[in-house]
Amino acid sequence: MSKKAKSLILHFVLIILVVITIIPFLWMVFSSFKTNSEITSITPTFLPKLFTFNNYVNVQKSFNFLRLFANSLFLSVAITAIVIYTSTISGFVFAKYKFRGKNLLFGLVLGTMMIPWCVTIIPRYSMMLDFKWLDSYLAIIIPAAVSGFGIFMMRQSISTIPNEMLEAARIDGASEWFIFHKIVFPLSQNVISSIAIFQFLWSWEDYLWPYLIISSEEKQVLSVGLKMFNGRYGTDYGGLFAATTISIIPVLIVYLIFQKRFIDGIAASSVKG
Amino acid sequence: MKKIFSAILVFTLLLSLVGCSSGESKPSKKLETDTTKEKNLPVLGENVKFDPNILINNGEPKEVEFWVWDSAEIFQSIVDGFEKIYPNISIKIVSHPWGDYWTKLPLALQNGEGPALFCVHNSQHDNLINNMEPYDIDIKDLTADFTGAENHVIDDKVYYIDYGMMTGSIFYNKDMWTEAGLTDEDIPATWDEFIEVAKKLTKKDSKGNITQAGFNYNSDVKSMIMGLNYQKGELLFKEDGKTPNINNDTMKENMQFLLDLYNVHGIGSKDFGVTDAESFGQGQSAMVYKWGWYYNQLSNDYPDINFGVFRIPTPDKDVPFAYDRYNGESTIGISSTVDDASKEIAQAFIRYFMSNDEALKELCIKYSIFPSKKTLAEDADILSHPVLKTLSTTVDYLIWPGPFPSTIETTLQQSFEDIIYNDSSIEDSLENGNNKIKADMEGVDFSSVESQYKHIENK
Amino acid sequence: MAKTKTLRKESIFSLKNIVVTGLIIFYAVFLVIPIIMAFVGSFHKWNPLKGDFIYTGFENYTRVFTNDLFWSSLSNTLIFTIVVIFFRIVIGLGIALILYSSIVKGKTFFRAAFYMPVVTPLVAVSFVWVWMYNPQMGLINQILGTNINWLLNKDTALGSVIAMTIWKDYGYAVVLFLAGLYGLPKDCYEAAEIDGASGFSLFRYITLPLLKPMTLFVVITSIISYLQTYIQILVMTEGGPGTSTYVTSYLIFDEAFVKYNFGYASAISFVMFIVIAIFTVFAFKITSDKEKGGAK
Repeated sequence: MSKKAKSLILHFVLIILVVITIIPFLWMVFSSFKTNSEITSITPTFLPKLFTFNNYVNVQKSFNFLRLFANSLFLSVAITAIVIYTSTISGFVFAKYKFRGKNLLFGLVLGTMMIPWCVTIIPRYSMMLDFKWLDSYLAIIIPAAVSGFGIFMMRQSISTIPNEMLEAARIDGASEWFIFHKIVFPLSQNVISSIAIFQFLWSWEDYLWPYLIISSEEKQVLSVGLKMFNGRYGTDYGGLFAATTISIIPVLIVYLIFQKRFIDGIAASSVKG
Repeated sequence: MKKIFSAILVFTLLLSLVGCSSGESKPSKKLETDTTKEKNLPVLGENVKFDPNILINNGEPKEVEFWVWDSAEIFQSIVDGFEKIYPNISIKIVSHPWGDYWTKLPLALQNGEGPALFCVHNSQHDNLINNMEPYDIDIKDLTADFTGAENHVIDDKVYYIDYGMMTGSIFYNKDMWTEAGLTDEDIPATWDEFIEVAKKLTKKDSKGNITQAGFNYNSDVKSMIMGLNYQKGELLFKEDGKTPNINNDTMKENMQFLLDLYNVHGIGSKDFGVTDAESFGQGQSAMVYKWGWYYNQLSNDYPDINFGVFRIPTPDKDVPFAYDRYNGESTIGISSTVDDASKEIAQAFIRYFMSNDEALKELCIKYSIFPSKKTLAEDADILSHPVLKTLSTTVDYLIWPGPFPSTIETTLQQSFEDIIYNDSSIEDSLENGNNKIKADMEGVDFSSVESQYKHIENK
Repeated sequence: MAKTKTLRKESIFSLKNIVVTGLIIFYAVFLVIPIIMAFVGSFHKWNPLKGDFIYTGFENYTRVFTNDLFWSSLSNTLIFTIVVIFFRIVIGLGIALILYSSIVKGKTFFRAAFYMPVVTPLVAVSFVWVWMYNPQMGLINQILGTNINWLLNKDTALGSVIAMTIWKDYGYAVVLFLAGLYGLPKDCYEAAEIDGASGFSLFRYITLPLLKPMTLFVVITSIISYLQTYIQILVMTEGGPGTSTYVTSYLIFDEAFVKYNFGYASAISFVMFIVIAIFTVFAFKITSDKEKGGAK
């Protein structure tokens, strides 16, 4: 088989797969421009017969979509920023320092990734009660501030930074904090990008914990809001599709910003697992 | 990279600021200190009285929350009337969808983060009662005004009562009715007649697939099946009033009857119209059996559907043991875990609500609830409401099993789904269901009140 | 490192000490204590609404093991996990290999397209798919020309949820495998090509073994997250029809936050935890055994 034919076949396969992947999105986006009676018609359509923007306009009217959107965005960015910092600094400590019980602690960090939410969610909930953190963003941000996954990725990648480089800085009189902020942190950009993408996504789509913790509507997050929207306006499919379409945008933007470094970042860390 | 990162941060902060300032959907009203003690407003109510000429919270401003699961607008109008009397009080209505409501409310009450006022449903009695505050109203006054209030006395205290009874009826699409050549004369009284009518309302395409169902019960057999049993004189609980009576011959017969409606008579399909309520609203099913709340949902969500209501059919022309089951719709509850000022406001609001016939009437009409307030039983507006008019003919023959826990309905629905979708035998499904309900009810303090039914001797 | 210690006296507030203390406090408060609480609670009748906390010994555990619904939900969970992981890896690796190939153009576009479902909130796509599976109005019956009630049919309900999950998540594996491929040492290939290895044997004997750490990574993170699947079920089937698509996490949520049997729910959680641990160890074992075999 010639190289050209091979390339044609591969592209063909890829395009088929892309179409399968994208169709639900297209259908959702198109549906968000349909009237509800067209969506619930017994003879379904793919493209809207009657193009309408009403669903987008009404989303804000029927529930406070922008507010929920802003809440989710704020929480996701805050958690992602904190996790990046805690992961990098912990990864640095695990990679470049010696201390008693280091392996034990690192084992614990890795072990936490294995613990299902269901084991800890009940006691955590009672703890939040005792802390009086219910209905507060503290209860969402603080328990998410450290990520075992992030520390693991960072330790792997920071191990590859040559010790000589850090030693040289120390000899020049740089403090440990300086070394971390000015040398290690900038060198870890690729891994930071991958953690950013993962963590942003996890926070963005987190459902159960915010659902249990947040009770006032104006503090609620988007993924819970989308479910509530369905519970309360279970008949407004156009509205649901419009809201969903908008909710995808920020994660896509984050991905597009970080994607170049994303793959390099993963390649630099977990591969050598 | 650093720049991008900080740009995103700034952007987010800006956005959340915008969210904070513009996002408040309904700003709490501006509260002012109330100094007019003597408002010269009339005292409401006959026995349960509400006197507006007393300051609450010493006239100091205070806001409390009021949780509802549905129809916030109905409660809002009642709240508006109350707030008008007291410029220092704001009652903020918070609405959660039904499922979420019951996940959050019990825990919120337990830890004192909950609302001062909340709608109660008696199927959740056990999860709520420990954190409820008794009404500050004389029981004698309550029983004088409300039928059945005596059933809710616990250790000489009342935590909530029923403001009315809700039950099911058949909703039918009038346009389809006319299209099929049917008139009011054809409204069926027995299930056999019902099946004949439903056949006329069913449409199929050339391949035999249903395109319009005559009758649809998908996703909601649970609210219907117990009524069918009562029609034949079978009770939901055994004689001790505690053991669930799920696995019996009448139940088997009725499950088979429901299956036959689809499989033998072909008047609908388990695969046509996944939920009955939506399918009727979307104009794809001609008849559904729904409880009173559906009237409000149809009017709100599907204003284009031209529908009518008739009484649930019976096995034969005679008056059955009972036409159907009804459930008491509970009044509003007060949290025992909020501060005293909030409780004071809540108590005043309860009095306002219970003595205010107009408010109760509006609520009963919106939800199609037959009022238990004695002064409303003969009310012209109530009797002209289509669902309630139907109900008024059967109201003496409706039975209430008591505030049984939600697991009974949930499990019966699961058992039926096992039969219709999972090909499991009626016998096995009911046996499993019976065991599951027994396990779930262990430790739940419940006694059936079936024995207090007016016509229990006809069994 | 030893040199620095002699040069500079370490302060108690050094970076290392602060970070280590912070981590210890964090993990103690948010993990160790909750786990102990849950473990203790699993031996009690624990109902927070009634303030019950009564010691019942192993009763909760006996109830778990004698409950048919637990076993059927566990088997659903395992089927779900295994099938989704299998397809995630096969599709993910396949696409990654194609995208890695030098003759493919437009890599950034394809990568972004395949990653799109991954970044969509699960709650949202679940709703979209419920609508796609609708027997009358849904896209899927329309495209396939079938007449199936996908989510309310015992033979298709779980499969439908699985299909949605594979669609949503395979892009994650594509990106990870791609990263793995980019990290492979080039000299291995050059040496092999000089030896005249064909495309397939290159893949079989060089690429695949070198990708093992990445595969292990994908498998283990997948095991952990899929054994805890919950949202799809909540939105798409609510465990139905009947109880045929109950998964263990859904059962736990139902017991804890609908029925308030916190003790019983904790007991199920611990059984679940052990299942996850066994599977993870198993996954590690398989790979390390193979490595030994390869060394011979």
